[in-house]
Amino acid sequence: MSARALQQPLPLRLTSNVFLALWCLIAAFPIFWIMVQSFKTPVDAYDSNALNVILGPETLARGHGMSALQILLGIGAIWLTIRLASRTLPAFVRSSLNGKQQWLGWIIGALVLGVGSVVVLFGVVPWVSGVLNPMLGPLGVDVVGLTTEHYKTVWVERGFFRNFQNSLLITAGVVTISLSVGTLAGYGLARSGSKLAFWILIIALIFRALPHSVLVAGYLPVFISSSEWLAPIFGENAPTLYGKPFAVIAVLVAINQPFTIWMLRSFFQNIPAELDEAARVDGCSHFQAFRRVIMPVMWPGVITTGLFSFLLAYNDFLVTSLLLDAQNQTMVPAIAGMFNRETTTTDQVVAVAAAVSITAPLFFLVMVFQRQIVSGLTAGAVKG
Amino acid sequence: MKFKTFAAFIGPSVFMMLLFIAFPLVSVFQQSFYITQPIYDLVDVETCTPGFVTQTCVTETQSVPRLDEEGAIITKTDFVGLQSYRNVLELGRAWDALSSGSWAAFQSIDFWKALRFTLSFTLITLPLVICAGLGIAVMINSAAKSVRGPVIFVSLLPFIITPVIGALSINWLFRGDGILTAALEWYLQRDIAMFAQAWTIEILMMFYRVWHVAPFAAIVFYAGLQTVNQDSLESAIIDGASRWQRLKYIIIPHLMPLIVFISMIHLMDSYRVFEEIVGFSSQGHVISLQWLTYDFLVPDQAGNRSISRASASAMLTMIGIALLLVPLLRRTWRDHQGGH
Amino acid sequence: MKLKTLLAAGAVAMSSTAAFAGCAIENTVPLKSLSAGFEAWKAVTDAMAECGNFQASLDQEFREKQPEAFAANPALYQIGGVANATMIPLLNAGSIRPLDDLVAKYGQNLTPNQLIKVDGKVMAIAMMVNAQHLMYRSDILADLGIAEPATWDEVLAAAEKIKAAGVVEYPLGGTFKTGWNLGEEFVNMYLGEGGTFIGEGNMPAINNAQGVAALETMKAMTAYMDPEYLVSDSTYVQQQFQQGKIAMANLWASRAAAMDDEAESQVVGKVAMAAAPNGSAAPASSLWWDGFVFAANMSDQEAEAAFQVAMEGIDGEMVSANNDAAVWLLNGYTPGKLAAGAAATAANGASPYPASGPMGIMHTVLGNGLADYLTGAKDAETTLADIEAAYMTAAKEAGLVK
Repeated sequence: MSARALQQPLPLRLTSNVFLALWCLIAAFPIFWIMVQSFKTPVDAYDSNALNVILGPETLARGHGMSALQILLGIGAIWLTIRLASRTLPAFVRSSLNGKQQWLGWIIGALVLGVGSVVVLFGVVPWVSGVLNPMLGPLGVDVVGLTTEHYKTVWVERGFFRNFQNSLLITAGVVTISLSVGTLAGYGLARSGSKLAFWILIIALIFRALPHSVLVAGYLPVFISSSEWLAPIFGENAPTLYGKPFAVIAVLVAINQPFTIWMLRSFFQNIPAELDEAARVDGCSHFQAFRRVIMPVMWPGVITTGLFSFLLAYNDFLVTSLLLDAQNQTMVPAIAGMFNRETTTTDQVVAVAAAVSITAPLFFLVMVFQRQIVSGLTAGAVKG
Repeated sequence: MKFKTFAAFIGPSVFMMLLFIAFPLVSVFQQSFYITQPIYDLVDVETCTPGFVTQTCVTETQSVPRLDEEGAIITKTDFVGLQSYRNVLELGRAWDALSSGSWAAFQSIDFWKALRFTLSFTLITLPLVICAGLGIAVMINSAAKSVRGPVIFVSLLPFIITPVIGALSINWLFRGDGILTAALEWYLQRDIAMFAQAWTIEILMMFYRVWHVAPFAAIVFYAGLQTVNQDSLESAIIDGASRWQRLKYIIIPHLMPLIVFISMIHLMDSYRVFEEIVGFSSQGHVISLQWLTYDFLVPDQAGNRSISRASASAMLTMIGIALLLVPLLRRTWRDHQGGH
Repeated sequence: MKLKTLLAAGAVAMSSTAAFAGCAIENTVPLKSLSAGFEAWKAVTDAMAECGNFQASLDQEFREKQPEAFAANPALYQIGGVANATMIPLLNAGSIRPLDDLVAKYGQNLTPNQLIKVDGKVMAIAMMVNAQHLMYRSDILADLGIAEPATWDEVLAAAEKIKAAGVVEYPLGGTFKTGWNLGEEFVNMYLGEGGTFIGEGNMPAINNAQGVAALETMKAMTAYMDPEYLVSDSTYVQQQFQQGKIAMANLWASRAAAMDDEAESQVVGKVAMAAAPNGSAAPASSLWWDGFVFAANMSDQEAEAAFQVAMEGIDGEMVSANNDAAVWLLNGYTPGKLAAGAAATAANGASPYPASGPMGIMHTVLGNGLADYLTGAKDAETTLADIEAAYMTAAKEAGLVK
């Protein structure tokens, strides 16, 4: 009965759907737009006429274009990727793998899909259409100006791949360490009703509210001269922390801790305490109870929290730009550098292409983990 | 749980926070009461710099810091009490401006200008984010099952995109003859410059923030909506409650903890608004408290930085956040007491 | 243009000797450099990397990192890229080494003009100069019968005519972005009025008739500029030029090449380079240089290698490959028509940027404080008085003023 009673009257449903469509437009448009710009020559990319930006007459005039066939193929490939990422992959991982294998499944599946779609979009589609275009007559004539040269500049000439690797390294480090340290603390806080626990939470909250620039600027001189003040402990081999990925990982983990422990604490609070108490009655220590009873059921919350850690580490600019040097810089500061330095308009479009490139993995991640986010949140990772 | 076990569980986390957050914070607190400066000597220096073909040499009296035997700059550190706070707050000027009734003069003092913007930014975007988030969540929840997935995906985009890039992408749409400004101009048949006056920039910045954060609120609320008690909804329908009444008396109270959670996160994040100032380069018109701190902190081209004022302004920002959070913290305290 | 032919002749003579490929030496000492990230540095560090064992950091935050990274022992970077102003903190801290012996040993290719001397000791090697000078659309000015403007009054008069003719969207462009850019515009204008920034005992000295005159010229300019001038930086002005939206601007010499870039400019060949317009006393521009410094905290062996590698980076081969990327001070450079503006500005007697510790503070407070005047929130005297007050607070905190 509930389904019909809760059914909205038609006008309301219509309005609601129209607003939803409008919101989707607002949400996606700026991102869609920079994507379009990244495929055009500078003259088109910054044209004030929207139609020129989309159709790219100047780009077309320079001999970079796409035929109707290519557009269709491209759309097909993108649709297939979305489909695979949001349906097939999660379904496969969840149904045919279990426990620890799931992690590996997620990572390998996402990687294969990511690399595969890049190969198809930038390799197979142009090749297939190159063969077919001449045979198709009007369908094979270029209609929309579009060029991938900026992506080539970014990834091939500018060596953006190194930045990508650095980003991966830092993000992976932050997510793993942050989660391992955070789950322990979150569990401890959730199971302790002491005043100390409360004050730790409050102080963590205030830490979260701190303006980061203050903290970060304080690190710089200390990190640069670390080989001098660490010398009494490490002797000759004292490391210079500045420019070391592990130092940046440590800083980002610390900055991320308050949010992580709050999220995980509320998640653990929703797991009935009776569960681990029962295990303790059976003679387990707290750690054993945690490992045997809690760990198997905590993954939804951990995955959700992990995604937030991922976003923080992947998107960070302040810490990474200040504490890393060019050899191990991550993608975000590298792009900011492209925009800020004395640039030409071409450089700017190249930077836009780089910006779109770093958004692509995020797209992927959300496609794959979308349900996990919602179910993790539903399971109580956020209870205030 | 015994204290020892508790300590073992939270130890690593607390250690990291102490080392990388608490320790710098204490030193910032301390620095705000001290001033450290080099000792300068006045020296005549001849400097030769290139022209296009030949050099120009000038001899000037310059302040050169004194070095010790090892070649390091000698500095002295003085306790100055609240002087740095006074330098940031400029209470004298603020008072003069207020007592002469001139809001404009008051708003030309950096700290108060920044505080005004930071507060209005925080307090205006807060209800917008909550309402937009709630609205989107309710709409997604009532949409057909088949479209929910794609809609949630699209909705999350503004939240996951790198903030610097998100701000720039919106910036480009409106900057100069950006396509949206061009579209507006065409529609209104008049010349529009979105970055020429403070209020339009403020609107853009607030729009960006709501665009960026509302998806997070929406997804959290949407998760909350999945756990609304269906029985009480049904009995409300039987009692003849209208759609609006159901929303008001059942759904919103159910989501209240989440609303508090989102408000808390949003208050903290928007009170330290910074990316927007840089992304929209609004320094000429509006500045925020964290931008002010940052501006004191970064060295100018000759290497001078105002550490003491930066520390003072950071402490003032913290006090502001703590004050804003008090009502929400009291709620957490009650929950904590009640929960165990 | 006597000086141009002179330079060109020298260039031809030199380029014949520098015709070998890649890098002449093979570097075995690991070296790192830290510099700003614009095109010229990219070209130079790429050429240096050909010698092997060399890593360049082209970093936007270099200004923030350099003083500490050079003060560390051993220094984190052996080679630094600096300009007039950014050399000051390194010089003050004694963290860069005098180069006289290295110049004598390996600097045969350097001209005396390149050696930055402080108290007679060579402390840095300049590689290029940069200055803001007038760029204008020669076609528009010719159509309207306007002669090349030589003073700001003439520029404003020309702008009025262009506005009346309505041929471009905005007659003038300006790098008025709040912060460093806006500060630099005032510095130029105030130098054009013949002012000095810092007085006896590091006291501020800008609240005077020259300061007001500089401000008034700037305000007069804004009437002809894009109303969004407070967010427009050099790249934005350059784009406005390329898209044919503006007719004149006082823009950096290093941007000149972009005007004739076929791939992005719609005004190729139509933009002429001229000297910076004069204020009432001098050209309203300041001369900047960019160049190398070498860390004090490294071994002499490293220093020799670093210096040699740097010399390879600025050899004739690099210059001929990147001739238009900057106004080089190097042997092998052929000043083309794009460099004419910078050369004429220098010839008219533009002064070097008056870099010093106090000037660093002054530039910052100017950059932050001037917007209030341009938006009409304050009048000129109040603005300058407030800027001086802000300067005093910062200078006292830095210990520069008692």
